[in-house]
Amino acid sequence: MTELSIEKLHELLINGEVSSDELVKEAIEKSKKLQKKCNPFVTIIEDAEGKKVTDNLLSGIPYGIKDNYSTKGILSTGSSNTLKDYVPFFDATAVVNLKKAGVVAVNKTALDEFGMGGTGTTAHTGIIKNPWDINRMCAGSSSGSACAVASGVYPFALGSDTGDSIRKPAAFCGIVGYKPTYGMISRYGLFPFASSLDHCGVLTRSVKDAAIVVDAMKGKDDKDLTTWDSSNINLYDSIDGKVQGKKLFYIKEIVDLDNYPNASDELKKHLSIFNDSIENLRKLGVVINEISIDKNLLNVIPSVYVCISCAEATSNLSNLTGIIFGPRGKGKTYIDMMKDYRTNGFSPLIKRRLVIGSYILQKENQERYFVNAGRVRRLIVDKMKELFKEYDGLILPVSTGIAPYLDGSKDELSKDDTAILEEHLQIGNFGGFPSITIPNGFIDNMPVGINVTGNCFDDANVLNIAYALESTMNYKGMIAGGNNEI
Amino acid sequence: MSKFTSAMVDDYADKLLIGLSKEENDLVLKEFDIIDENMQKIANMEGIESVEAMTHALDDFTYDLREDIAKDSIAIEDLLKNCDNYEDREISVPKVIE
Repeated sequence: MTELSIEKLHELLINGEVSSDELVKEAIEKSKKLQKKCNPFVTIIEDAEGKKVTDNLLSGIPYGIKDNYSTKGILSTGSSNTLKDYVPFFDATAVVNLKKAGVVAVNKTALDEFGMGGTGTTAHTGIIKNPWDINRMCAGSSSGSACAVASGVYPFALGSDTGDSIRKPAAFCGIVGYKPTYGMISRYGLFPFASSLDHCGVLTRSVKDAAIVVDAMKGKDDKDLTTWDSSNINLYDSIDGKVQGKKLFYIKEIVDLDNYPNASDELKKHLSIFNDSIENLRKLGVVINEISIDKNLLNVIPSVYVCISCAEATSNLSNLTGIIFGPRGKGKTYIDMMKDYRTNGFSPLIKRRLVIGSYILQKENQERYFVNAGRVRRLIVDKMKELFKEYDGLILPVSTGIAPYLDGSKDELSKDDTAILEEHLQIGNFGGFPSITIPNGFIDNMPVGINVTGNCFDDANVLNIAYALESTMNYKGMIAGGNNEI
Repeated sequence: MSKFTSAMVDDYADKLLIGLSKEENDLVLKEFDIIDENMQKIANMEGIESVEAMTHALDDFTYDLREDIAKDSIAIEDLLKNCDNYEDREISVPKVIE
């Protein structure tokens, strides 16, 4: 039953057709089976128990927590060897808020180490496989959460998103991934990667479920001064599917096939599916225009992201020394001990990113790299905000196509002409914009996704447009390989 | 020819107390070149120096200061649970001064 929507599960719980204990037990059993198939979990909470069912839609329902959220008394590793035994003494605020709603955590999901990757291959517990095809990646960094939700373990799992870490795994796994406006959900207790870009969010199998969960997670928090009062926003109640007269734009330099002279058949098919979705929305009365943006500005987005995120990560991860927490390194001096801990604890990808951050933050390099990256970030965000004055949102395909094969997968900057199509979701993090990915088709039996991004604080509008688009297709509530696959 | 060298990469890593293998060093070098090429494009943008750098996702945070009221603190015993090496209520640290 855990493959059903939150609304349906609540109805069954209220009517006594299933108990919270039964749902929790089912989620734990599915977790164990899925672990053998795809390896998406760091911890399965085998002694989790059902909770009292109340009027709250989420009460009694099992869910998963990405392992970079602090959970009191439960191992929280960030999928890193540097914190392989770390058990927090407090809950992240988002987890506290969900507990108040009455949900039950049944596992902690694996991620690319500290959220700093896009393949699902750098967790200290091993590679996370895509449930639609175990030879392919889930993308990252919310890989385990995406894998588990797509497999029907439960209706939702928590994610975090610094560049596209909720929204790309959602696309590759055929589910919904939503990161709300920056500061709508407290980041207190989320392991920081790049604080100016980090967002909390959720992975679900429908837009309405995403709205229900974020309604419960959000709220102003004394422990995170970047949060804001969203008490006047009720996402779930705002969804009505009425989109007549709404205006969207897409970026010509990203979706026009002419930009890709060597386009693969997969890319052509992906853009064709995107265009079909555009037509579906137009039939609902949505006005969709093509907008042109300076390609030079778009092409530097991935490097700007790397500069900002690596610099911030270098600072944020400097407290990982193995002295006050984490396994202590070996060595005669404290310097030797810290170096041993960091050299052997961090994966090669993390080390690469931190070293890039170190270079960028050198005094002599800051203006050329870090400050200039911030300037381009401003130009891009200002351009988007100018467009959002006229438009309700930006609509684009996610990635160049389906999930790549794990064999030979890389996680490094590319010079390919498709790089901007692969990385454009970073715009949503630059500006803190609400952004949601939903499934919109299949290529070679693998799902692909489409994304809607809107202006800050306009989350309800963005979700409503995504809901209307979702309603034109048959991909809501999909389970990888069908309900009996795990 | 790249302006970056393996020795430079090792130096930047060492400043972070991180050691790199030869393979890791090579990968960083490759990415340095791509980033530098793109950052050169940015440096060449007309008027870029007059743009105010954006340092956070939102520009209009309103910071409410909390009341200065003491709250219960976390028990030291709980804090020490994640420490490998401590005596009584204090963390045992490596010798810093020779």
